[in-house]
Order: sequence, then C-alpha cells, then structure tokens
Amino acid sequence: MKPFIFKQCTNILKSAQRRAGTIKELLHGIKEVSDASIFHHTYKYFLKEHILEYTNDFSQWVGESLEEHTLAEHLSSVDPYDFTAVSALREEIVRVIDDYLAHFPEPRPAMKGNEFYFNESATIVFPTGIIAHNVAEFLQALKYVDSSSIYYHFYEGRIHGMHGPDDFSLWLKEDLNEKELSEKLVHIDPFMYDIEGMRRLIVQIVEQKVQKDMETL
Amino acid sequence: MLQLSDYSGISPKSDLQLISRLADKLSSKQFLHINSTKEGGGVAEILGRMTPLLSKLGIVVRWEVIQGDQRFFTITKKIHNSLQGLPEEFTDDMWKYHEAINEKNAKTLDLNADVVFIHDPQPVPLIKFRDKGLWIWRCHIDVANPVEEVWNRISAYAGKYDAAIFSVSKFAKQMPLDEFIITPTIDPLSEKNNDLTADEINEVASRFKIPLDKPIILQVSRFDRFKDPKGVIRAYRMVKKYNDCRLVLAGSSATDDPEGEAVIREVTEFAGSDPDIHILLLPAFRDKDINALQRMATVVLQKSLKEGFGLTVTEAMWKGKPVIGGNVGGIPTQIIDGVTGFLVNSEEGSAFRIRRILNNPDMASKMGENARQYVRNHFLITRQIRDYLFVWYAMLNKSKRVMEL
Repeated sequence: MKPFIFKQCTNILKSAQRRAGTIKELLHGIKEVSDASIFHHTYKYFLKEHILEYTNDFSQWVGESLEEHTLAEHLSSVDPYDFTAVSALREEIVRVIDDYLAHFPEPRPAMKGNEFYFNESATIVFPTGIIAHNVAEFLQALKYVDSSSIYYHFYEGRIHGMHGPDDFSLWLKEDLNEKELSEKLVHIDPFMYDIEGMRRLIVQIVEQKVQKDMETL
Repeated sequence: MLQLSDYSGISPKSDLQLISRLADKLSSKQFLHINSTKEGGGVAEILGRMTPLLSKLGIVVRWEVIQGDQRFFTITKKIHNSLQGLPEEFTDDMWKYHEAINEKNAKTLDLNADVVFIHDPQPVPLIKFRDKGLWIWRCHIDVANPVEEVWNRISAYAGKYDAAIFSVSKFAKQMPLDEFIITPTIDPLSEKNNDLTADEINEVASRFKIPLDKPIILQVSRFDRFKDPKGVIRAYRMVKKYNDCRLVLAGSSATDDPEGEAVIREVTEFAGSDPDIHILLLPAFRDKDINALQRMATVVLQKSLKEGFGLTVTEAMWKGKPVIGGNVGGIPTQIIDGVTGFLVNSEEGSAFRIRRILNNPDMASKMGENARQYVRNHFLITRQIRDYLFVWYAMLNKSKRVMEL
C-alpha cells in the first residue's frame, strides 16, 4: 500500500501581453494565445478562494464587464475536464462564442479599465511534509493542509491521471480499497464550491466513513 | 533583526516553506537589488526587510542605491510623472544626462551578481553596463496609460532585460521578454500593521479628539483630488440622514505639493462646522497613528477615482475591516465585490454600501474576516519575497511551466 503524499502548489502570474475590450477581441485572443493561457483562465480558475457567479475567467468577464449574461452562462457550462487536450477546450470555447455571435447582436465594449487581460501562470509543486497511511490520518491531514494542496490533488489531479478521477479518489480506491468512499468523492460537483467549501465537504464525507468504521465491530 | 520564523503563524505556512526551499536551491548565489533611495516609500521598505531575511537563509544579498544630483532626480521625477500619464517637458539633453549619471554609477557599483533586480525607471539604463547574470526590471509604478514618448524611451532600456515585473496585469506592456505580475504587499510586523492594544487605540483617539461614541467612517489618503475627499463627505452626508456616524479623513499634509494644500483648504471649507467630521493632517511616518485610526474605524473607504494599487485598502483589510473601494486601478484586485469588501462607482453607491455595513454588523464582520484572510493569502510581504525567488528560479528553468521542488 502506497501512502498518500500531500503536495501543494504555488503559481506565479505571467502576462500574455494581450488584452481584449470587446467580445471579438476576446475571441481573437482565445484563438491565438498559448495553451498555457487557456489553461490558466479555465482550469486554474478553481484556485480562487471565493466562488464567483461563473466558472472560468472568460465567462466571468463576459458576465461582469460586458454584462452579456446569456453568453456568460453558455461559457460557464463548458467543463474543462471533458477535454483531454487544451486545444480541444479552446475549440469548444471558440465554437460557443461564434454560435452566440451568429444568433445575437454583439455586446457593447467593456468600460475603459475593465478590459480582459490574458495571463498565464508558472507553477512550482512541492511536498507539504504531510503523509497519510490510512483513512484516519488522511482525514486529519485534509483538515489542516494548505488550501493549494486541496486544489492540486482534487482539481489538477484530474489532469495528471489523463483526465481520470482526482488524486484523493484514486488513492482511496486503488491503495486503500475504499471503493464506496472513493465513489462519493468522484460524485462531488467540482464547480459548486470554493476551495475551503470543498475542503469542508470532503472532510465531512471522510469523517462519516471514519465514524462508521469506529462503530463497526 | 527579523527572520523568516517571525512570520510563522502570521503568513501562510506554504509561503514560508517555499521561501526556504527556493533559498536552499539558490543558496550562496548573489542577489543584487538596485534602486534610488534607502529611505521612504514602499520599495525601500520591502528591500529593508527582505535583504537581512534572505541573507539569513544563505543567499548573498546586496542592496545598492544609485547616486545622483538634484538635476538627475528632477529628471527622474518627471519621468515618473509621465509614466503615470502626466505630460512633462523633456529635452534630448535630459535623456543624455539620465543615462550619463547611470553610466557614472555603473563605474562605481559592482554590478556582478547571479541575478540583478533593477527597481523603477531611475536606474533602468544600467542594463547597458551589464556584465553577467540575469537582469530583471521591477517596475513598481502605474504605467497603464503613460505618455507614449517617455514610455518609448524607457522601454528601449527595459526591452534589453531578461524579464520584467509589473504590479498588476493592466500595467504589463508588449515587450520581447517574460513579464511577471507581482502585486505590492504590506508587512504585518511593521508599525503600520502590527497589533495594538485597546489602550494604544484609545490614546490615539483622545489625542486626535475623536470620541468613540458612534460608528467611524475612515478614509486614509493623501489630500489629492483623485482620492475624491469631497465625494467622501457627500457620501457621508447621505448616510447621516439615516445613521448617526463620524467621518475621519486622515492624510499627510504633503508640504511639497502645492496642489495638496489647495485641496486641504477646499475640503476643510466644504466640511463646514460639522463637529462629526474630523480632518487630520498627519506628519509623514506616523504609522502607528494610521494603524490605530484604521483599527478604530467601523468602515473604511477608499473612494479613489484613480489609483495605483491602493495599499491603504490592503492595510484596512488586514485589520479585518469591511472596505468600500472605488472600482479603479488595483482596488478590484483586492476587493471581491460583496465578499472581501464592496466596489463602488459613485457617491450614491458609497453611501448605500456604508449604510448596509452599519446596519448589518454580522455581514460586516464576516466581510472583514474574509478580507483579512484574503490579504493573508495574497498581499503579505512574505508572498512578495517568495515571488521574487520564484521569478529567479523560473528564469533558470525557462523551459518548464511546472517545476517540482
């Protein structure tokens, strides 16, 4: 049995040196920026501590700064974990915007100062120094690890495993043979919680399991 | 002298861990900072804190200051203003002098190091005299809307660096080099931000003759029209119709700024004889007084019409205060509307948000808690130190987007 080694990650923002003030400029930007930039504005969105109205930077900007809520809703429903390559995710976002522009009038430009700034990020991954060998230790660690560790394993973990489940579910299933508990984590909606909310939810689910085990003969 | 462990339990543990790990990787390497002053301003403050702290971690840090005469600093002040959008007159001679003084400094300074951080535009021409190492230009000022001709002159130098660092995304420029975004930060252990006892706060209140008998609305800022002090008074008057409160406007007297004095006169006149409006002119470096004022406030305003980053917003958020900020400059980077504070676009909006805070103490307290946590995670000095080392390490590993340590 392999123990679970909690890692954490830190990002630094890099400018992609490009901005958009209108939906068409956003569209051109999305078509041309690096994969790292698309990755940053979609997958990395979940690193935000507070859940916002929409679920990626593009939809948030379209909703807040262009006040085009229908398009923001459409963009929000694009699930980055449905795609195994950033290029396919990029194509889908472009398709959603193209489709919107074919059916609706073009939204007004953003107010000056509220333009969209394309960024990328560089990441350093390093161990937290916390290791769990069983569910009880896992529970204790979940309560106190840095929030970036929850992000790294629960969100980015889905990409490490070739778009399989998150690192927590995978370890519980493969190494501890805790299939039922693993399934419960797999079925959490990743879009509906901020990181701390997600931590609370996972802790609650794992705690129920530990309590049940303690009471079983 | 402070060391990294003094920030344990204050800064996020992951930041302290990463600083230690990166310092191990970069141990014995030379880290040189060059700016134009040892005293005053945020740049000198962070370098003063960071230099000894990194030395203790095994990095060989040096902090040098370029020397110049009055003519040089008059020119660099004009450059500074123009980069922030204020047109100034320049002649070719002035640009030649700017470079000549840098050349003179290059002859006396030891520019050899593994990484060289050049802070702001005053020493930017030093790049012409580089010998070895990574050279990174750290631009602390708001260059979102510079005077183009002046930016072109500065970017001719900046473009020769290996990387540049700006404070917020909207300041980044199109240049043929890597550009990192690192926001400014506050030091939680400085006099302006450390904890104060109730007695210390009461002493400041009584010295400034501010009775603590009703909620206090506070704005701390220079007396400058871009900080909209009259707009703040108008918002306070709208609030006063429904909620009894006091307004405190505190700022430095800015004796070197003739316009500042005119603004103070205007504001004092506009406030009239209202005994609940307190206009405080603080001498420079009265950090503890500002700390106490922020701690006694019920709600803090930063109703700027134009703003760089707005570190007074960060300071108040760190003290767990609900902050209402103008939706400009770096303020939206700090205030997530409705979560870590409120963003406003008008006097009416400010008044309405003040009333919401005064009438919902539970919401205000939750907002203040969110604000403090947000600052802890993003805007403390340890994060800035972490990011400087991160940029250095990332530049040594340029081919990797994800680095494992």
